[in-house]
Amino acid sequence: MSVIDIKGRHKSFGDLHVLKGIDLTVETGEVVVIIGPSGSGKSTLLRCLNFLEYPDSGDIRVNGALIDPKKTDLDKVRQHMGMVFQHFHLFPHRNVLHNITIGPINVKGLSPKKANSIARDLLDKVGLPDREKAWPSQLSGGQKQRVAIARALAMDPDIVLFDEVTSALDPELVSEVLQVIQDLAAQGMTMVMVTHEMGFAREVADRVIMMDDGGIIEQGTPEQVLDNPSEERTQAFLSQVL
Amino acid sequence: MTFLSVVQEHFWGFLRATGMTLQLTSVSLVLAVVIGLVFAFMKLSDNRLANLIANAYIGLTRGLPLIVQLMFLYFGISSIVVLSSFWAGTLALALHAGGYVAEIIRGAIQNIDRGQTEAARSIGMSRSKTMRLIILPQAFRRAIPSLGNQFIIGLKDSSLVAYLGVPELYSNAMTAAAANYKPLETYLVAGSYYLVLVVAFTFLVNKLEVKLSPHRQEASR
Ligand SMILES: Nc1ncnc2c1ncn2[C@@H]1O[C@H](COP(=O)(O)OP(=O)(O)OP(=O)(O)O)[C@@H](O)[C@H]1O
Ligand SMILES: [Mg+2]
Repeated sequence: MSVIDIKGRHKSFGDLHVLKGIDLTVETGEVVVIIGPSGSGKSTLLRCLNFLEYPDSGDIRVNGALIDPKKTDLDKVRQHMGMVFQHFHLFPHRNVLHNITIGPINVKGLSPKKANSIARDLLDKVGLPDREKAWPSQLSGGQKQRVAIARALAMDPDIVLFDEVTSALDPELVSEVLQVIQDLAAQGMTMVMVTHEMGFAREVADRVIMMDDGGIIEQGTPEQVLDNPSEERTQAFLSQVL
Repeated sequence: MTFLSVVQEHFWGFLRATGMTLQLTSVSLVLAVVIGLVFAFMKLSDNRLANLIANAYIGLTRGLPLIVQLMFLYFGISSIVVLSSFWAGTLALALHAGGYVAEIIRGAIQNIDRGQTEAARSIGMSRSKTMRLIILPQAFRRAIPSLGNQFIIGLKDSSLVAYLGVPELYSNAMTAAAANYKPLETYLVAGSYYLVLVVAFTFLVNKLEVKLSPHRQEASR
C-alpha cells in the first residue's frame, strides 16, 4: 500500500511557481531519495507532504485517505509523518529527554513513564544512551541531529521526511547521522530524503528522483539515475556534485 | 545630619508608604503582563480589526504622558463607577505599562526562530500547544531583561499616583516635607527608598533570568 500518493501538485510563492505538477507515490517500506540543484523545489515538495506549506492544487492521499487541507485535521496527519530538518530545530529550553517525550506526552497523551521508556529506547538506538539530561546547547551537531531523529521517531510515524539533514554538519560528524538513517532503512522505515550525499543515496535508496525547475525530470533505481542518467540535466547535475 | 534626623523621624511612615508603593507596583505589573499578552496576541493575529485595536491601544498608551492618562482614567472611570484611588491608580499604571509590555512580548515571540514552530507542528502539535509549550517559554525567558526594565520604570512611575491621593512613597514625602520644612532632606530620603527598591528588584530579576535559563548557563560554562 502507498503511504503517500500525490497527483498534480502545484505550489507558488507569489509569482514564483515552485512546484509544477508533481506526481509521486511512496510505498510502505520504500526509501526515496530526492536530488536536484538548489532552488529546484526539493524542500518545498517535502514541506508540502506534511503540510508545513499548503499546496495550491493537486490531490494528496495519506495511507489511502484523500486529504482536504480545509477539512482534514492536519495535526493528526502530521503526527504520523516525522520530519528532520537541516538545522535540527531542537527545543533549546528542554533537555534531550524532554525534546523526545514532549510529542508523545502532549500530542498523543502518553503517560510520562511510558514516554520516557520510549525515549530511552530511542536514545539507545541513536547511540546517545547517556545524554538524556543534557541540554541541546551542550551537544555537537551530529548529536543534535540524532536527537532530532529520535524526536521524530518517538511519535511512531508511518513515514519520516529528511531534508538535507547532514548539510549543516562538520564532515567528520556526517557518518554517525547517516549510520542511524541506514539502520532505520534496514528496519523497513518508509522514508523520503533530500540529500547531496550521492554515495549514501546509492546505498540506501530504493528509488532516486531527480528534480529540476519544479518538476521531476527523471526517476528510477540508483543505478539507473546515478550511474546511467538518461537526461542531460541529470548528467550535468551529477558531474557537478560528484 | 538633618538627613539622618529626617530618616529617624519619618522611618515608619516611609516604611508604610513603601508597602503601598510595592502593592501598587506589583498589582499593576501583574495586570500589565496580562494586558500585554492580550494585545501582543492581537497584534500578531491575522485579524485586521484585532491589529487595528492593538495598534491604537499601544499608540495611545505610549503616546500620552502618564500623568494625563492617570487623570483621564481617574476622572473618567470614577464618573462611571466608584473606584478607590488605589484601584484607579493601579488600573491606570497597568493600562499604561501594558502597552509597553505588549510590544516587548510581541517582539520576543517574533524573534523566536520559525524552525521552532515548524519542528513543533511537524510532530503534530496544534498551534495553541506550540505557542504554549514551545514559543512562549522561550519568548518569556528572552524578554526578562526588557520586562525587568519595564518593571523598574513602573516602580518609579507609581510615584505619580500620589496626585490621586494614594498614600505611597512620594505622597508621603510631599506631606512630610510640607510639615517639617526640610524638603531637600525629605526628598533625599524618599529617593533613597526608591533606589533601594530598584537595586533589590534588579538583583531579583538577574537571579530569575539565571534560574530560568539553565540551558544557557550550562552552555557558557
Ligand atoms: N516561504 C517561501 N517564500 C518565498 N519563496 C520561497 C519560500 N520557500 C521557498 N521559496 C523559493 O522556492 C524555490 C524553491 O525552494 P526550495 O527550498 O524548495 O529549493 P530546494 O530545492 O530545497 O533548494 P536547496 O537545495 O537550496 O535547499 C526557491 O527559489 C526559493 O527561493
Ligand atoms: Mg532545500
